[in-house]
Amino acid sequence: MLAAEEHIANRVAELAKRRGTTVFQTVNEMLEHAVRIEEMGIPLKEVVDEREVLEKARKLGFTFAIERLMYELIDLANLRAKDKTSEIWLETGRWYGKYFSSRSKDGIKEFKEAMELLSFGNSEFELKENRSGEISVACVGERLSLVYSDLLSKFMAGVFEAFSYRPIEKEISKGVIRLKFEKLR
Amino acid sequence: MVNGAPKGTKLIVLPSRLVERLRKPAGRQGVSISNYAAEALEQALRATGLGISIQEAVDLYKIMQIQREAGAVQISRESLDRLIEKLHADGGEDLRAIWLEAGRWYGEYLRAKLKGDGVLGFFEKALLVSWNLDEADVDEEDGGVRLRCTSFMMSPEKTELLINYITGVMLSLGYEEVSNEHLRGMVLTRFRKIENNRIN
Repeated sequence: MLAAEEHIANRVAELAKRRGTTVFQTVNEMLEHAVRIEEMGIPLKEVVDEREVLEKARKLGFTFAIERLMYELIDLANLRAKDKTSEIWLETGRWYGKYFSSRSKDGIKEFKEAMELLSFGNSEFELKENRSGEISVACVGERLSLVYSDLLSKFMAGVFEAFSYRPIEKEISKGVIRLKFEKLR
Repeated sequence: MVNGAPKGTKLIVLPSRLVERLRKPAGRQGVSISNYAAEALEQALRATGLGISIQEAVDLYKIMQIQREAGAVQISRESLDRLIEKLHADGGEDLRAIWLEAGRWYGEYLRAKLKGDGVLGFFEKALLVSWNLDEADVDEEDGGVRLRCTSFMMSPEKTELLINYITGVMLSLGYEEVSNEHLRGMVLTRFRKIENNRIN
């Protein structure tokens, strides 16, 4: 016998009903899958998390690109249309800033959570708000190119502009983005 | 389900064979069989809520592991599309070269990573995920490969770049293009094996 929390047991029962099978069969099937996956050395939670991240990224209008292709594309864009490329990233940032600020009162927190889900080339993303209300953004990744780092900083500038913040510190180098923003008064 | 469970819980009958199988992974995680099973059910229900089966989620997980190792970045579709549109304005030759080269690199990567084991099947799934396609079929037929991709959202420029990317991947996998038909958001290409795996 398995003692399952009532809400889980009820959801399993609903699922079994929808599928036209018994609770016993449904539970059996679900757990068989889970054990088989764990036996392959894959944590089930990570599997489902991955799917959820992709779904959220898709809903946010993000897509995957091969890093190498992306950097070459951006280098070409930087060579041929630097201002326009910067403008595209800034405008996209403004759009996302507006999107998150209009979604909820805690738009910055939602933006932070979204950015933590996304992958910017194996980089680490950090967004912190200090006691005086300044926001620090850091993105560090060994493979981030200088041009891409610069464009990501433009994107962030656009986002925080829409949240009514202005940049007060900026450090961009290959693989490192450190930005600080303060609230406009 | 059986009555008589502690408050807030319900008892679910499990076959003893399954309980035995649960014992090992639960032990590895240092939790009781009940806790392990409850967590597994929770995750399975999450997957169902996302509209996929556990097997589909596992397939996707494996693809994403390889994609990440190959170096994957997420970018706003809007930014990417605008950039492509801007750079394509002069004919797009540079872009086609970048996509072809990226495809060749990715094909080489897949060859080395998967060592020929189900490379075409993997490529089919990777196309669906990475290019946000609605459909992708990569079928082996008569010693060659028939590849069909569909997207209801793809611009003509991106469709053209997708063809170059696919051609690059297939070249690295030892196939050359025989025919190619495409419309906005739709690609139908046939490839044949390059003799002695000669790659130009």
